Amino acid sequence: MMPNGPAAAAIALVTLLTVTLGARGLRIARTPADFLVASREVPSAINAAAISGEYLSAASFLGIAGLVFAQGLGALWYAVGYLGGYLVLLLLVAAPLRRFGAYTIPDFASGRLESLTLRRTATVLVLVIGWFYLIPQLTGAGITIQFVLGTPYWVGVVILGLVVSGNIAMGGMKGVTFVQSFQYWLKLCAIAIPALVLLGIAGPGTARNLSPDREAIFTHRTLVHVSDNISFTPSRPIRVTVTGVLDRRRMRHQPVQLTVGRHQADAGTDLSFSAGTPVPLRISLVSAHAPSWDSPLVTAGTDGAHPLVATYGLIIATFFGAIGLPHILVRFYTNRNGPSARRTTMIVLILLSGFYVFPALLGVLSRLRAPQLYLTGDTNSVVLALPTQLLPGKAGELLAALVAAGAFAAFLSTSSGLLVSVAGALSHDVLGGSTRAFRLCALVAGGVAMVVALPLDRYSLTVLVGWAFAIAASSFCPLIVLGIWWRNLTWIGAMAGLVAGGGACCLAIVATMLGAATRGWGAVLLGQPAIWTVPLAFCTMIVISLLTRQALPSNVEQMLQRMHLPEALMQRIHSR
Amino acid sequence: MSTGSDPPLRATRPPRVVAWGHAQARLQHDMIGVGDLHDDTSYGRLLVRSLMHAQISLSLMCLAIALTVTASIPVLAAVYPEVIRFRLLGLPLTALVLGGGIYPVLLAIGWFYHHQAGKLEARFLELVDPAERNRHDA
Repeated sequence: MMPNGPAAAAIALVTLLTVTLGARGLRIARTPADFLVASREVPSAINAAAISGEYLSAASFLGIAGLVFAQGLGALWYAVGYLGGYLVLLLLVAAPLRRFGAYTIPDFASGRLESLTLRRTATVLVLVIGWFYLIPQLTGAGITIQFVLGTPYWVGVVILGLVVSGNIAMGGMKGVTFVQSFQYWLKLCAIAIPALVLLGIAGPGTARNLSPDREAIFTHRTLVHVSDNISFTPSRPIRVTVTGVLDRRRMRHQPVQLTVGRHQADAGTDLSFSAGTPVPLRISLVSAHAPSWDSPLVTAGTDGAHPLVATYGLIIATFFGAIGLPHILVRFYTNRNGPSARRTTMIVLILLSGFYVFPALLGVLSRLRAPQLYLTGDTNSVVLALPTQLLPGKAGELLAALVAAGAFAAFLSTSSGLLVSVAGALSHDVLGGSTRAFRLCALVAGGVAMVVALPLDRYSLTVLVGWAFAIAASSFCPLIVLGIWWRNLTWIGAMAGLVAGGGACCLAIVATMLGAATRGWGAVLLGQPAIWTVPLAFCTMIVISLLTRQALPSNVEQMLQRMHLPEALMQRIHSR
Repeated sequence: MSTGSDPPLRATRPPRVVAWGHAQARLQHDMIGVGDLHDDTSYGRLLVRSLMHAQISLSLMCLAIALTVTASIPVLAAVYPEVIRFRLLGLPLTALVLGGGIYPVLLAIGWFYHHQAGKLEARFLELVDPAERNRHDA
């Protein structure tokens, strides 16, 4: 891969802009409260763009299109689910949560249920979910920098980790609110412009690669230049003309018959395929490939076991996961009141649905027009590779630069929001909540995430983020939903639910990562665990709460009033 | 919350006005709702309960519609595989539905909820605090 100068410059520009605006916030931010929430009154439209900017992470920007390309249209469920998560958030918690006025989930837990033990448990879960979500952002940065500059994977991880934790440690979110809203529009442009330009270039033509039950084929005679050593396998015997090193044999313009099985091409080799030849699959993409590319069922995370159940598992995880993400609640605090929280969420829904059309478009386009990426590409970098594949020369390079800048904006904004939440929870509940502690925690939390992200580049960004959603859906979602709507929730019940649901979900995911089950029911129940861990968490909370009625907080009625009565009425009640 | 530590105000409350002048009638209604919420009487609790009940019913109805629409797609695909073979403009149905077609449906549900929830709160305000309504009318 040749270093892409414009892309490197665009990434540097986006980063510089973020850091400058963050540093500007430094002068205004004085107290820990300033660091955590920029201001209570941000206009709905700006706040909604900021929420969307923070929400559209590496998974949305690079991950979905890549996963659609690699595994099939079923991966679009991630996009539908990320949007559906906000709809459920609007329906169940937006206004009451704003009225409650907590700005972290531990605050909500201890404020609503009066328990320090519960608060500490919630803090631990904030750290787990936050890190789980933070890691794919760093992974994405590693992959992007690797792709753009040709550096090793760890360089990008370290760059993003240092920039974000340093920036947060210096400025907090004071500057970031406006940076985040700017970054939504940047991301939208960075994905919409390339998608539309490439769509225009692709134009009308054969849609053969969208036929069901068929592997992708080279639609015309294609010369593939291999830039790294790759291992691949054809799905059936194919012919290829080789110049370079294939299977350790040096060849020059030599036609070869390739059998099904593992082959290796060294860097610098040219492979020439005639039109109609099925595209051989890179080994890393083999297991994930869906039987029919147009199937609307999910194969990600479960190696294709029981796709119907996996799909429902993913729907539950994403629809109910957004409520429990640690960096989302803090944004609701910046709404003026309950109705404005609902309005903001509604605008977020519109902004997100405007964005999610484009990853889908890019995924389909790459299948249709750049099937050679099945041989040379990687799930996570398809979006980065597509512009130069379809549009050789300077124009393609510029488009690629725009995509890289947007991707970096995605990593920066999401990881900033997450790091503020993680560092906030850590400093407040472990170190007493001073500004110095917050800064220290931002650096430590960022450092830990960097170290953990280093060995994880082989996972799909989208699948990693989907797992963070599953943990949130199995722990904080029932806590918040029941806390808002059910007066009989006790802290003991909530604790039991957090531990049972969140714990089971974490164990299932770790088991999947360790390869505990790769087929059958084991694979689907561990790989998309939300289908059983979310009901488990809800049931545990309800049953244990009913068994521990003596632990009901004394001020339930006041809490319910505060969350559900319109603000105008609360003012009149207070003014009496 | 200020109400928690305050002594019960029932004893010190002014007697209700039963004259039928416009201003007094308004005052009387005002006493029932806001006062009961302030004092956390059983009537006040009933008011909160009824509002919560109306709100959660609306939310759950919208949620049920959203989940039914969403959850029917995979089941349809599993039971009638020929449905997903259907193509529009050369694109598979899956791409059209999951890549954009389902978004307007979800947005419409959100929009409907947003408006209904606002209306519910306005109606509740009128019920508890008719002064609000008169202010709006004026």
